[in-house]
Amino acid sequence: MNQDKTTRRAVLTGAAAVLATPHIAGAQAKAVRIGMQATFSGPLAQSGITHRNAIEMEVERINATGGMAGRPIEMVYRDSKSQPQEAARVARELINSDGCEMLFDAESSAGSFAVQEVVRDLGVLCIHSSSETSSLTADPKYRVATAFRSGRQGIHDAIVGGAYAAKVAEARKLTKWATCSPDYAYGRDTTAQYLEYLKHFKPDIEVISQAWPKLGQPDFTEVITKLIQAKPQAMYTALYGGDLTAFINQGNIYALFSAMQVFSVNLADYTALTAIKNLPPGIATGNRYVVTCPDTAANREWGEAYRKRYNEYPTNWSWESSTGMRFYEGAAKKAGSTDPKKLAEALRGLKIDCPFGVDGTVTMRAEDQTVVGYAIGWGTTLTKPPYVADVKPADWGTIFELETEWKKRNGFI
Amino acid sequence: MNRIVRDIAIGVLVVAVLAAVPHLIPSKAFQDFVIRCSSMALFATSLNLLVGYTGLSSFGHGLFFGLGTYSFALLMQKTGISLPVAFIATLLITTVTAIAVGAICIRLRLIYFAFVTLAMQMLMHSVIISWVGLTGGDQGLQGGIPRRVVAGIDLGNQYNLYIFAAVVLVIGLLMMRHIVNTSFGTSLRMIRDNETRAAFLGIVVWRVKLTVFVLSAVFASVGGIVMSLFVSGAYPELINWPISGDAIFAIVMGGVGSFLGPTVGTMILLLLNDVVTRQTEYYGLALGIIILAFALGLRRGLLDFITERLGGRPAGGIS
Repeated sequence: MNQDKTTRRAVLTGAAAVLATPHIAGAQAKAVRIGMQATFSGPLAQSGITHRNAIEMEVERINATGGMAGRPIEMVYRDSKSQPQEAARVARELINSDGCEMLFDAESSAGSFAVQEVVRDLGVLCIHSSSETSSLTADPKYRVATAFRSGRQGIHDAIVGGAYAAKVAEARKLTKWATCSPDYAYGRDTTAQYLEYLKHFKPDIEVISQAWPKLGQPDFTEVITKLIQAKPQAMYTALYGGDLTAFINQGNIYALFSAMQVFSVNLADYTALTAIKNLPPGIATGNRYVVTCPDTAANREWGEAYRKRYNEYPTNWSWESSTGMRFYEGAAKKAGSTDPKKLAEALRGLKIDCPFGVDGTVTMRAEDQTVVGYAIGWGTTLTKPPYVADVKPADWGTIFELETEWKKRNGFI
Repeated sequence: MNRIVRDIAIGVLVVAVLAAVPHLIPSKAFQDFVIRCSSMALFATSLNLLVGYTGLSSFGHGLFFGLGTYSFALLMQKTGISLPVAFIATLLITTVTAIAVGAICIRLRLIYFAFVTLAMQMLMHSVIISWVGLTGGDQGLQGGIPRRVVAGIDLGNQYNLYIFAAVVLVIGLLMMRHIVNTSFGTSLRMIRDNETRAAFLGIVVWRVKLTVFVLSAVFASVGGIVMSLFVSGAYPELINWPISGDAIFAIVMGGVGSFLGPTVGTMILLLLNDVVTRQTEYYGLALGIIILAFALGLRRGLLDFITERLGGRPAGGIS
């Protein structure tokens, strides 16, 4: 009888355990779905792919170390085909139909603004990792309480670029300047802002020639001869991607790069650096992503791990997305939850360890919900790997000071 | 008269069914689909007034779709006017623009007409890209559309926008259906089939062409307004030339000779887009293969194919 009782109890306990286990296991295993839309097809496919590459690495690492507050991350990727209306649709679909609890937006410019409106309408948590348009987070008109940015900003680049150029110009007496940038809003705005800060730090410079090649222009001959004929001592260019490599390859034929000191804000990204046939030495360049900025073991290790895995170096987009995932991870740790509201609260002002921070950390500034403290600097090119050396990291004190001034001037604060 | 009553009854029924669907299947993706479908179907059907009914192959019809999105979004953002007023004002802006553009374009025929309309669209696209202060340039019009309220109904709410889009689509289609069934519609088909004969029969060809050009522009613009409400803004991609291509694809796939062909084509195109995008990043490849299948296999749009198989002649009356 006794034995019978024990057996029954054992059976009941066992049954209860069996019934309870899947429930507990289910609760633990329920993945946090994060939806990411980006451009995975067409001429800009590389942006989406290298964003995703970095995210995959982070997701594996985060999931291996306990996930977000105990829940593993499951990413859902969708192609927006570089169309803002498609980005908006896909973002809505990810939340409404695919069961995603939050978004990770890797659209550039227009797409990110379209997603921002979805975020506003649905009240969903989102990290933008790709848009560099300062107003996305700086202008209170566009800001949304649940939207954050983990990527660089145009205004930061302008300040740092201007400060670095002024120092070089001062040391080498470069007063006559030319510019050569793509003929649309990005090119014109970036150039104007760069010159503004260059003149802020060194008021006696003079711009003697400005060239505005069309986007995707195959032949830069007339631009290059115009620049050489103007005989400037220095030149700034905001060209990027295929246009930049074409410009440098064609400029080499005319020995443009020995005729003047060139400052190229977008050159130091491996996609550009490795696509150029003979990279001229000594071009000054802003860092997009290079393993030598910040020059730390953590950054080199991350860059090498990426290269080993994907057989190419990471891009600027890669570090921005990697940082975004680290913020989600950090926020979950701080909040002890994956509840989007608590995560948003935790993200404001959150400081995390990060290989791309100038001091090994980056901060999600609370006031405008954008990342600060990331490594940003200018160096000069070498003909061989690591391609960029002597990178001078920028001083964030100066950036903050001038950024605040800029915000006041634009009525943002 | 009977036909009109029948068409209206079908329209009311469609709206009623669509209104009931969310209570049975609460799929927000379906609602989004209908909203986008409404926008693109109005756009494609309006283009078919030119292509299918008048024989004017416009490659730049996206100009008016885009103009609709930008005018409406700008009026809502920069002025304090209410949504219905902005809606009407957008149609007026489109009308004026379409008269100016049409006056230049309808004098031309065939490929010349096609290319000048395309040039007009590219011109407007360039203006929007360059006028950064007003339009936000290549960044698009940022900051969302405020006060999306009609008669106390907030179109910021997805279900409300869904019903609104369905109603606008049905009214738009009914109006276009009515246009092609009047004697004016017959004039259009006569011009398409033989312009010289139509002129000899006393039809003032340029006036009819200009009128249909303006009418189709206005309906395209309504499609643009719905899109602008869906994305809560306006983006240069919505006025760039590929958007005209989308409408042409919709017509080709659905059928140029059937009134509902472009609507069916839009549904196929959007469904393909949504399904293929979920599976693969090779959307362009999949779309290309399917369009080839339509072109080489069916040799006409789906609805034309079905109509002919059933022994009928497509309503548009391909002769």
